[in-house]
This record gives sequence, C-alpha cells and structure tokens, in this order.
Amino acid sequence: MHNSMSFILFISFLYSMNQEPTYLVLNHFDQEIPEVEKSLIESFNNSKFEFNESIKNIFHNLDNYDNPASSHMDIIKELGTEHKVNFILLNKIEHNEDRFILDGLLFNTRSGGLIHRRKIDLKQYLDGQINELVMWVGNTLGIQQKDWQENRESILFSDPEEIEYDKTPMGAAIRSLIVPGWGQAYSNKKISSKVWFGVEASLSLAFILSYLNYDTSVTNFLKNSNLYNATDDEKLVSKYRSDAERDWINHIIYSKLAIALASATGTGWVSNSIHAWVFGPRPYTNIYQEWGSSPKLEEG
Amino acid sequence: MKIINDYKILGIIVFISFSCKLYKKDFDNPVDYEANSDLGINAPALVFYPKTQTININESFIFESVIVFHKDSIQAFSGAHLRVYFPNQLIKFDTIVPGLFITDTSQSNPLFTYTFDGESMIDIYTYFLSESKYFIEGTGHIADIIFTAVEGGVDSLYYDLDYCEFITVYDTEIPILGKRGAEVKID
Repeated sequence: MHNSMSFILFISFLYSMNQEPTYLVLNHFDQEIPEVEKSLIESFNNSKFEFNESIKNIFHNLDNYDNPASSHMDIIKELGTEHKVNFILLNKIEHNEDRFILDGLLFNTRSGGLIHRRKIDLKQYLDGQINELVMWVGNTLGIQQKDWQENRESILFSDPEEIEYDKTPMGAAIRSLIVPGWGQAYSNKKISSKVWFGVEASLSLAFILSYLNYDTSVTNFLKNSNLYNATDDEKLVSKYRSDAERDWINHIIYSKLAIALASATGTGWVSNSIHAWVFGPRPYTNIYQEWGSSPKLEEG
Repeated sequence: MKIINDYKILGIIVFISFSCKLYKKDFDNPVDYEANSDLGINAPALVFYPKTQTININESFIFESVIVFHKDSIQAFSGAHLRVYFPNQLIKFDTIVPGLFITDTSQSNPLFTYTFDGESMIDIYTYFLSESKYFIEGTGHIADIIFTAVEGGVDSLYYDLDYCEFITVYDTEIPILGKRGAEVKID
C-alpha cells in the first residue's frame, strides 16, 4: 500500500489577524491523490498552507488504543507548540476496491485530546476523495459550500421514487400466479420458492388423482347402470347393481375430495402469489441514510 | 390484470363445479327385487321387462312376463296362471312363447298354453307335469308376449292379480304380493 503522508501547515491569516484559532492539517493517504493540496488552497483561498513531509506514522492504528482520545496527548501538544496552532486536523484516506474510507480527527493542542472525529465509508465518485476532504475541513472551519454537497449527491438518485427497478413485487406476484414458487425464485428466496412449489405441486397432483378417480368412478357407474338396466338376468342385475352402487359411492367420495383439494390448491395458489408480492423485491429504503447528505460527525 | 385473475378464479370454480357433477342413483330394473321393494312392490311380484318401450307403428316388440322372488327365497312353484291386459287400441296381440326360465333354457318341456279373448285379455298357463322336473324356484321370465304397434299413443300393460296364481307341487297357492305394469309409447 502506497502510503503518502503530507503535512500541511494551514494558518488562516484571517483567523490569526483576528486572534482566531489556528489549525495544522495533516493528511495520510494510502494512494496519491493528485492536486489535493491545490484543491485545499483554492477551496480556502483566504488561508495559508505549508507542507512538511518529514514526520510520518505518528497516529498509526489509533483505534487500537484503549482511549484513542487521549492516546497522543504529548505529541499533539509538542506539534501545537512547534507550529504555534490551536488545533490539529488529521485526515486519513484508505481505498478498498470501489470504495474509500475517510477518517478525520480534530485534536486540541492545548489539552492534546481528540475533540472531534468523522469516519465515512463511501463509494467513489468523481473527485470524491478531494470533495469529501474539503467538506470535512470546511466542516471543522464552519464553512460549507453548496456545490460540495451537490457534487456528493451527484452519485445519488435525486428522487428514489422515479427509479425503475428490474424486479418488482408485481412481477413476482404475476410469476407466482403462473407457476407457484417462480415469484419467490425471482426474488432470490430459494427455500420458500421450493416450499411453495412443492406444496402446490403436491396439492395439484392430489387433485388430479382425485379427479381421475372421480372420472373413472363416474364412467364405471354409468356403464354398470346401463348394464343393470339392459339385463333381465337376476344374477347379473344383482352384480351390476352392486358394482354401480360401489362406483356411485366412490364418485361421491372422490368428488368431495377433488373439490376440497381444488379449493386448497386454488387458495394456496393465490396465497403464494400474495406472498410473492408481499416479500417481493423492493429497494432498500435507507439509501439516503447510508449516504446521507448531512455530514455525520463522530466525537472521539 | 385484476379482471383477468378474477375470471381465472371464476373459471376454475365453474370448471370444478361442472366437472364434478354428482349423479343420481336410480336403480329401477323391474327384475331387481330391491328396486321393486323401494317402490313398495313386495316379492314375489309379477312384472314386465322392460318397464317401458318406445316403438314405431307396425313394429313388433316383446314384453317379458317375469316372476320376481326375493334373492334368498327358496320357494318353488310347479304351475302358474297369469292374466294380462293390454291396450288393444294401440297394440295388437301377436303370439306368446315360453320364457327361458320356465323351460330351464330349453332343458325341460313344461305344459305351456295361453288364451286370448280377442280383445285385450290374455291368460297364460304353465305347469310342470314331468316326473323328472316338477318345480322351479327363483326369479325368471315366464313368457315372451309379442305385440305389434297399430296406433300412436301411450298406454300400459298390467296384470290382474285376482286371476293370477302360482302353486306348489302340492297344489298349495303361493301368494303374489306385488305387481308392476309396463308402459308402451308408440310414435
């Protein structure tokens, strides 16, 4: 990891002339960020910057200390005395694939303690590192410009309601109405997809078998009834009547069973579609909370 | 989409309702003693088979004259006299032949004869006079009565139980408890 550390001495003439607090800004970046110093100068053009790269790794692994806020009190006081500043701003930027983490810390040189901290994890956007750094520095100085916010928000959708999603709850519901479980599979819910498909397939199969048995019973009943009516042989009359009565009872049983199973299948089918709609694919509603436009500050 | 779904559900319900039609159990064969019993006709009973016929004018047709005993009956008879009335304005009497039951499928030769009064009454007589075969038991058809349709209309044939008689080999009478007529429709 390329680790570049630049020391920027930033003494605001405006503040110093008015006896306002003065700041020493230290940037620790794992990758070189071009024109970061120039951007800071242009963003705060009433300020003076001095660069010194002789001091390295003074605040390495701050989170490993039991009390990060007071872990570097001596060196903070020494730097404050050396550079004659009231506060020290330490900015760390680390990159992780398409994201970067900005960890900003504000120390008071009089006490040596950490008084302000801001840590954000953001997806990279155009000049995102510089823009976030400027916003953080501006936040500590009480300066915020609208174009900085707009630049950050350029990576966000202005109106999430207008986003057209590839997958929708209605799409899931329609799919489940066509084939049970398809909507759940479409929503990447594999287990419920298999359960719904299995239940509906079982019910449907049971219904089909019941209906086929009903149909067979009816066919046999009608055949035996016709044979019963067509004979004058006492024994055959008795036989065909017995067979027809058995088929008649069966056709009643299978009819009731088929209707019950059809009702269960239909109800399950509709429920499956409703389930697919309720648990269908929806956008994460905390998109703004995750990358909110309001600066989130953490106190150390 | 909602309308389509509603129609789909409605279609399924209609399909199930009509496809699972429940049939009525209708056993009404005159030879069936249970069917006769359901109609209040007790065995032994004299019936015609089939119970109804639809024919065209000038066509010949047969009504079987049948004695129906209870399935478990072991009562045997050696002779019978049947009196049948038919609607002579619609059908014309042709002839009578012994039934397969009374001849034991042509295994025996009982005395078999009939008289016709020339109008609408037929008397049928049959007796077992042989020494080897002198009685028979169970349900079966005694005679085939052959008619010809002469006029369109609907009417019925029936027995006159006051003159019908079944006797045992000891010349005791077997009471006939029921009778059932038959309907003829001539187009």
